[in-house]
Amino acid sequence: MSLKVRAEKKLGKFSLDVDFSMEGGYCVVLGPTGAGKSLFLELIAGIIRPDRGWVRINGQDVTKLPPERRSVGFVPQDYALFPHMNVYRNIAYGLRGLEKGEMDRRVKEVAKKLGISHLLDRNPRTLSGGEKQRVALARALVIQPRIMLLDEPLSAVDLRTKEKLMDELKFVQSEFEVPVLHVTHDLIEAALLADEIAVMMDGRIVERGELRKLFSSKNEKVAEFLSARNLFEKLSSLL
Amino acid sequence: MKLYFSIFLALLSSVIVVFIMLPIAATIGLQFQDSEAFASALSDEAVWKSILLTYYAALLSTLIAVVFGTPLAYILARYSFPGRSFVEGIVDVPVVIPHTVAGIALLVVFGSNGLIGKFSPVKFVDALPGIVVAMLFVSVPLYINAAKEGFASIDVRLEHVARTLGSSPPRVFFTISLPLAIRHMAAGSIMAWARAISEFGAVVVIAYYPMIAPTLIYERYLSSGLSAARPVAVILILLSLLVFVVLRVLVRGGNVSESES
Repeated sequence: MSLKVRAEKKLGKFSLDVDFSMEGGYCVVLGPTGAGKSLFLELIAGIIRPDRGWVRINGQDVTKLPPERRSVGFVPQDYALFPHMNVYRNIAYGLRGLEKGEMDRRVKEVAKKLGISHLLDRNPRTLSGGEKQRVALARALVIQPRIMLLDEPLSAVDLRTKEKLMDELKFVQSEFEVPVLHVTHDLIEAALLADEIAVMMDGRIVERGELRKLFSSKNEKVAEFLSARNLFEKLSSLL
Repeated sequence: MKLYFSIFLALLSSVIVVFIMLPIAATIGLQFQDSEAFASALSDEAVWKSILLTYYAALLSTLIAVVFGTPLAYILARYSFPGRSFVEGIVDVPVVIPHTVAGIALLVVFGSNGLIGKFSPVKFVDALPGIVVAMLFVSVPLYINAAKEGFASIDVRLEHVARTLGSSPPRVFFTISLPLAIRHMAAGSIMAWARAISEFGAVVVIAYYPMIAPTLIYERYLSSGLSAARPVAVILILLSLLVFVVLRVLVRGGNVSESES
């Protein structure tokens, strides 16, 4: 799997100008709030179109394809589960056109892998944060996407759940053999999950590589974002 | 101090409640002292014809409002485009125009020599279509605004996710947006329908005949006075309240079962 993005998009005063590529694995785009991370994911998912440039998945130019033909799994912040459908129908939503038995088999298979088989009749409103995330992951994974796009997937849960969910996200990536692109403002999330980190600031990818490399970054803004003081605040919030 | 304030609020509030309740309750209550007139109104065929016509025309007008108003409500809730607030303003115009003026304006368009009426094979003046356009004109803002609010209250990310799961925009609309806005749409339809039933001014200008119930009541009041008009008014009040309450309960009831499912 490969994802390559070279695109520009202007939205009011903000401009996104990204040059990015990944070859599978677990990649975290790290950046402060307002850096354009969500926009970046929406660009890859096809929800917004670039003004200039292109998006390629596995060598295929998908720039002009609508979201429904890109085969990407998109999990937005707060999960966006369909409130008028139970968990089963949420997961089955993307399987339209499949024969009923096959649909049922695939929904149950993904639910089993994620440990949510007992939740299939439930209304999304009654689920805990962690359960919601698993359902959202299942709903995206069941269509066998070429890549998973996760937008701040851990921002809505408490710390204890967060640790557990991080393990799950790693599990998803290896079990389903799907590359993950995860955006967050949280350095610790990035450090614990990522095979590779890209730092995004003001709509641009300004640094990328392993965590170690980022800490020796010459980029002043990156250094400030990753500064000891910032880190200390993050750590103390964990204690 | 706090208690005084509560009493103060309650006093002012009850003035309004009484102001609304009193004329309706008095009209109904006094009528029961004259049950003979009420009984004869109940067996008056012209009365029932006018009431059925009113409800039927209001139903047609509401259906038209739903079919043409839903897409507009969706567009206004979801897209920003140049002239959007202008369109929103236009939708609200019928609310601020006096209804007789609305009737005159509709006559200019749908009258026998009107812009459309001149060429239309359908006759509007003194005919059912005229009643329907008059009702539609005054009631459609209520529906559009309610439906718009419904669509606007849906998290746009639900629609985005549905797209990435393989759904085309029409399928997203019918499987996500519409079901989630349906309660607002239902409430809006009820309000629009109720508004259409209660319309008199615009209808009477374009279609005095066939008589809708409000016109019939007005005519009886003019020709034979209050005692002739009141029994019919009471029937209309009771029926309207009944239908209104039943529909409200249906909408609410659906709501409860949804949150439990």
